[in-house]
Amino acid sequence: MSSGEAPNAAMLTVFSERRSDLVITARETRAEGVVSLTLADPGGAQLPGWTPGAHIDLLLDDTVRQYSLCGPPGDQHTWRIAVLLDPDGRGGSKRVHQTLKTGDQVAVRGPRNHFPLHAAPRHIFIAGGIGITPIVPMIEVATEAGSDWRLYYGGRSRASMAFLDELEPYGEQVTIWPDDEKGLLPLDDILADPAEGVLVYCCGPEGLLAAAEQRCAAWPAGALHLERFSAKPQPEPAAGEEAPFEVVCQRSGLTVTVPPGQSIIDALDEQGVSVLSSCLEGVCGTCETQVLEGIPDHRDSLLSEDEREANEYMMVCVSRSKSGRLVLDL
Amino acid sequence: MKARDELGTLEATVTDARYYPAGPADLAGSGNYPLNCWYVVASSDEVGRSLLGRQVLGRRLLLFRRRDGQVAVLDDRCPHRAAPLSMGTLDGDQVVCRYHGFTYAADGECVRVPSQRHVPYGAQVRSYPVYERPPFVWVWPGNPARRRGTEPPDLPSLREPGWAVLGGSLEMAVNYMLLHDNALDRTHFPYVHPHRIHRGYVEDPPPLQVEVAETTVSYSRTFTPAPLADWQHEATGLPAGQEYTQRETGTFVSPALHVDEMDIIGPEPERQLFRGVFIRAFTPVDAGRTLIIWRGARNYAQGDESVTERLREVYEGTMTEDQPLLEAIQATTGGKVGYQVSAAADAAAIRAYQIVESLLAEERGRPALRRRPARRD
Repeated sequence: MSSGEAPNAAMLTVFSERRSDLVITARETRAEGVVSLTLADPGGAQLPGWTPGAHIDLLLDDTVRQYSLCGPPGDQHTWRIAVLLDPDGRGGSKRVHQTLKTGDQVAVRGPRNHFPLHAAPRHIFIAGGIGITPIVPMIEVATEAGSDWRLYYGGRSRASMAFLDELEPYGEQVTIWPDDEKGLLPLDDILADPAEGVLVYCCGPEGLLAAAEQRCAAWPAGALHLERFSAKPQPEPAAGEEAPFEVVCQRSGLTVTVPPGQSIIDALDEQGVSVLSSCLEGVCGTCETQVLEGIPDHRDSLLSEDEREANEYMMVCVSRSKSGRLVLDL
Repeated sequence: MKARDELGTLEATVTDARYYPAGPADLAGSGNYPLNCWYVVASSDEVGRSLLGRQVLGRRLLLFRRRDGQVAVLDDRCPHRAAPLSMGTLDGDQVVCRYHGFTYAADGECVRVPSQRHVPYGAQVRSYPVYERPPFVWVWPGNPARRRGTEPPDLPSLREPGWAVLGGSLEMAVNYMLLHDNALDRTHFPYVHPHRIHRGYVEDPPPLQVEVAETTVSYSRTFTPAPLADWQHEATGLPAGQEYTQRETGTFVSPALHVDEMDIIGPEPERQLFRGVFIRAFTPVDAGRTLIIWRGARNYAQGDESVTERLREVYEGTMTEDQPLLEAIQATTGGKVGYQVSAAADAAAIRAYQIVESLLAEERGRPALRRRPARRD
């Protein structure tokens, strides 16, 4: 908003996630190919709170990697993440393994939580490989909250499975299931008895999640909670009369194609650019976004005719584009 | 966690920001505050070697200071015939009930029943985890096991040298979330506090930068240089009419605490930072009342009593100007807020409702409303 505008100029809201520069205070090998990093504020300040299942973004030069927080949730001065070296990956884990060391500064964003733990009399935790990370703080909190929980933890081999030492005190509540000794996790047995009041939390590779989903089909709705490492394959949206168009996020430097049947806000969200919204019906104005280039197809109920013609702002929850390309101040 | 995706440079990634809580109405039930959280129960100077009764967090609490200086917090009710223990006496570190002399240790255990030799089974008063970080005494009303390792928020301006601090407390007949909503909102200032703001609020409001993490949300904005409001000029001693850059930040630290920072950048070449920190602990009394224990810290004019009094008027005046409106809203809605419309400037407040909603969901064991399945890409 430039100065010199009329009095009572509209106030713009820019929404972003908390970003902090932290220092690595410890780096430890947790298993074959797994290192953990302990992060703290350089000045020793308290870090924002989080709950089990939360993750942070690690901002590495031009890439962003997401890692679950796996330290004690009560610790307000340090965060811990664990990183599996993926030799076939796109380089993020290699960079963590090869270049990050104690004393280095790293930029992080968050935490946020898409895998929150809910209180229940009983929890079944199922972890595959590095999917153990969000589960570690979950069992701590479940224990404190008095849940009668069980953990089934599968992995390639015992040597590749992180945090076995920290799980040991839990005794028979934890079942360690290395593939090379016992084969795949026996989900048919683990999830054999659907029961009210039992919540299932599963994190691991897609194969494990798909299998858990299948086995939980007979469970009460909402019993199964999953966290995916990558997007699940989605069916193509049905092609309607709408034409696809391109949205350029000027500040993020990101270009997103919005297909027919999908809203701008959803398309941006999938690429990690989120716009605060509330109604998703074009009535509240929360998602108002500045248009830098292009002609929106306004479908909201807020803007006046004059404002529509000015093409300066749009509601990205419902509005689309008349031009093939829209440049937004995001 | 395993590396997932290359997302490039991101401005914002709050994928569940869109879940408008099915309505603040859902949070307006009898106890819409999480229990697994530290709340300010009193200021340090209120708690001494006498028994203090305090009604907060839907219960009656008894506070006193032990001989070693530690604060003890117990339920203010004798398990025998329900007499408030705060009507009794403090004998060493033991509380003696006014009614029959039942005597309790500072941890709540009954140690003596004058009429008989043995203490009856079940004669135990609940005690609460306490954490004193002067000037605040914090209490944990929830599951004691869940507090392990946690500390209340640290407030450096209240403990570090170089700050002058004033404060007080008041009670309002409003739900505590209405106070958070109000504290995160700057757009009511030109209407409710018009004489307390500078020109930038009305003429050229800069973008509101809202920053979120899982359990916190803050807003900040930096104004283009503008003349100071009268009280700012009086408190800082900076000349009226001169234009200064100002920045303000407000943070929902937890359901129990809101912190505002207001900075004025002084003139060249020193560019001295005049910082005021306004700290408000919101402690629910019940669904319709909230105890506000507040402090104002400043890093300038530390020894000047007239500045302290000027700022006291500003802080207290701002709150008492809000009070009739907020209490009228509470009365109108009966605590069921159910806003019909939100504006873009409500982004931070909407997020605070969402945070509280998910904390409550976690604590009560029901999934948060309208949450999408967990997904990452």
